[in-house]
Amino acid sequence: MDYKILAEQLVKKCMQKGTDEAEVYIDTGRNLSIEVRNGEIETVQEASAHGVGFRVFVEKRMSFSSCNDFSDSAIEKAISSAVEMAKKTTSDENNGLPDDKRITKIEGLYDPQIQQVPMEKKISLAKRVEELAMKDSRITKSAGAGYSETEREVFLANSKDLSKSYKESACSFGVSVVAEKGEQKSSGWEFCSRRYFADLKPAEEVALKAAKEAYSMLDSRMVKTQEASVIFDPDVARAILGGILAAVNGERVLQGASFLAKKMNQKIGSELITIIDDGTHTKGLGSKPFDGEGVPTQKRVIIEKGVLKGFMYNTIVAKHAGVKSTGNASRGGYTSLPGIGAHNFYMDKGTYSQEEIIKATKKGLFLKGITGYGINPVNGNFSGGASGFWVENGKIMFPVKGLTIAGNAFEMFNNIDMVGNDLDLNRSFTAPSFRIKTILIGGE
Amino acid sequence: MKIKGYFVEDIPRRKFLQISLKGGIAIAATPSLLSQFLSCKAQGPVSAKLKLDTNILNKTIRKALEKGGEFAEVYVENRISRRIIMEESKFKSAVFGISQGAGVRVISGDKTGYAYTDEITENKLLRAAEVASYVARSTKPVEPVDVKEAKRESFITVKIPLQDVADEKRLDVIRRANQAALDYDSRIKMAFISYYDEIRSRTIANSEGILLIDELPLLFFIVQTLGVGKNTSHLSRERLSRHSGFEMFDEVSPEEVAQRAAREAITMLDAEDCPAGKMDVVMQNGWGGVLVHEAVGHPLEADNIVKKIGVFTGKLGKKVASDVFTMVDDGSMPNRRGTTNFDDEGTQMRRNILIKEGVLQKYMTDILSAKQLNMERTGNGRRESFRYIPIPRMTNTFIEKGKDNPEDILTSTKRGIYVQSLSGGSVNPVTGMFNFTCREAYLIENGRKKNPVKGATLIGSCIDIISNIDAVGTDLDFGPGICGKGQEAEVSAGQPTVRIRGINVGGSRARR
Repeated sequence: MDYKILAEQLVKKCMQKGTDEAEVYIDTGRNLSIEVRNGEIETVQEASAHGVGFRVFVEKRMSFSSCNDFSDSAIEKAISSAVEMAKKTTSDENNGLPDDKRITKIEGLYDPQIQQVPMEKKISLAKRVEELAMKDSRITKSAGAGYSETEREVFLANSKDLSKSYKESACSFGVSVVAEKGEQKSSGWEFCSRRYFADLKPAEEVALKAAKEAYSMLDSRMVKTQEASVIFDPDVARAILGGILAAVNGERVLQGASFLAKKMNQKIGSELITIIDDGTHTKGLGSKPFDGEGVPTQKRVIIEKGVLKGFMYNTIVAKHAGVKSTGNASRGGYTSLPGIGAHNFYMDKGTYSQEEIIKATKKGLFLKGITGYGINPVNGNFSGGASGFWVENGKIMFPVKGLTIAGNAFEMFNNIDMVGNDLDLNRSFTAPSFRIKTILIGGE
Repeated sequence: MKIKGYFVEDIPRRKFLQISLKGGIAIAATPSLLSQFLSCKAQGPVSAKLKLDTNILNKTIRKALEKGGEFAEVYVENRISRRIIMEESKFKSAVFGISQGAGVRVISGDKTGYAYTDEITENKLLRAAEVASYVARSTKPVEPVDVKEAKRESFITVKIPLQDVADEKRLDVIRRANQAALDYDSRIKMAFISYYDEIRSRTIANSEGILLIDELPLLFFIVQTLGVGKNTSHLSRERLSRHSGFEMFDEVSPEEVAQRAAREAITMLDAEDCPAGKMDVVMQNGWGGVLVHEAVGHPLEADNIVKKIGVFTGKLGKKVASDVFTMVDDGSMPNRRGTTNFDDEGTQMRRNILIKEGVLQKYMTDILSAKQLNMERTGNGRRESFRYIPIPRMTNTFIEKGKDNPEDILTSTKRGIYVQSLSGGSVNPVTGMFNFTCREAYLIENGRKKNPVKGATLIGSCIDIISNIDAVGTDLDFGPGICGKGQEAEVSAGQPTVRIRGINVGGSRARR
């Protein structure tokens, strides 16, 4: 099936049904996942699939339908349902589709080799990472290891003569283990995801990190409730980034449902904070040549040296705000309308190594695990469960768990006084290590 | 899995940055990249029940067991869904979805092979069967029993079928809720309303000879309201969901849902910083049951017990909780969100007492874990869609009602936190460490509810919590939710008012 031609034909079909504008988004691909435990295969799952989403506009009213059945009757039903629903929604002069025909050129989104790698090699990678993680005598059980891969091709066409496509791939492997000591149990896991199979980290590195995470948390303690420093490991970066991302969503900003809504061009935190969204990074897991509705992606500064510089928009919300789309239309596959989201969203690196940050800390928490929702994007309140290591006089003393940390986003941003140089852009949502000088840590 | 991450989500959100494999690991990748396979859920198929030729089903099952294995299954699903969104008092969008597909599963010893197709044709089914049979190579095959249609008791009644409801009625429900929210208080600046319904039809056929066909309606109505005060804002939430017809809105009006949401938003504008440290917690009846759903329910799902890593491994028949604590999972409660007539493997739904007066009675199993543990099938084998293999999941999970007067529980608590509602939380099923974020909570001073406090975190270990429950009220109630464990499941959680002594509460100020 030539999906490109199909997408263009389906746009015409929508227009024949009386829509003023129409967009067709076809998503097609295959995936494979393998899980092993105790050296044996536990599950193998394989499938290929495709689906199509129709976004239509009738008199500036918008609606959407999707189906994964490409028979004429199913397509017919999906289109007519969308047209029917478009009579019910509210007309909005901002509704409409983009017409930017450019594409951002990005290298390394698709690895043709993934398919060529024999199944046995993929299985043995999963087995090996498990075996290596189990080597340490403190590790007593495996919770499983796995490998998975996805290849996908997206075709997008609309009634403004836009017709684009791209192909992408990703593969991942990882392991989850348990360390036990008497009645104590502690779990650790690690994975590695890349666009190219050949770029995956050595199994040793992934295994070691999973094992260490499990055994190093044995004999953890509590500390007293107190104000102290908190050093965020890159693994817990999302605790702070997630709330920022949700708060720079242009639609939430317009609605007043963002704690950053009125802060444009204002200083909202320490000069050490620079946050970037980059849809163009070579081999980036969040990179793509165009966004979820066909607008070319770009690299944008969101926060520059503590000053809020950019919100994120898709086409409709941008028009509402009187600006241009920033290429941040996100799409959760063919079943969803474009929302607003990031590509590779990260805090830029600073100058210190993680060791230097720990060494410079008199008393505090080296945060390795955090639970909860992170920063509340509506009011900036933050509260979460915390675990990691207690630091005194620049030295790691003992593991701690069952703690909490809480505060307000602005206090936290202003309080960031050291940023590390350990940024890993192989992740799509990431930060280097950083330190918040003081925050309330809840304990005994 | 990712051992870190069983969670109940606050609102339906796109899965973010991670996909999870059953029981194993979390893999991060770009959200959109994997979403096609791993997060398509909001669509649904056509209301006509699929009538597949039983010959094709038998043939597929035979093909699946050709290379070996002792169990094979064909799962065919069709889902038609509608979602209508109102924001800023506008019908922003309407989303209609048709999704169908079939999955073939083979179990051989501890191994599972799975493949799915979105084209339901004989050729594609046979191809899926062949792929799924990969894991069973060179084992001794079991002779499948030809399928025969079976009957199961029904726990879902429908008065006004969703198929018969005009779109205008759906819009009206949304308009009414929006108006009621805005009318509640001038500080309510906006309501975000999401109306969702679906009809999911399932055909399950397996090598034990079972053939089951049914159709499930589902309604999910969410009202969030944005309250804006002088220096702060609060986004509140109230949800209503059942497996039922449109009569749900006659029993609970959209206005009532909206007013509850608006009340929370306004109340929380006055919230002050929450103190940090160990405190007694009184939890109001209803959705607060999600705490035991996470903290106790997930660790009682049998997949981690099979791996011998779960916190309740080897504790069957032992005392694990206080005497006043009885916990139940019951997928047969009429029309509840967690209810189905049979699970996604065809096992009849029923009431399972998990912990009785503090003593552990049973784990929740699917076909595979029941076989591995040599235990009974409890009706907990569930799947998000044909794209997933079934795994042990909860249904309607709750703390059984006790003997205490709910008011007495509060008045006899000198100091602490009164939790009126929780957002959601997560648990590590290995260590039993859980965390929860409060939506609406108050300080308790001298047995009385005082000022509301900002989004506090509750954190602790599940064993400690259930040992420290010392009062259980008579006022059992439920709330609807979405449970994530690599795949999503609709659940409800419930509890009467309970008191837990000494939970670690995360606040932003030291205790006065």
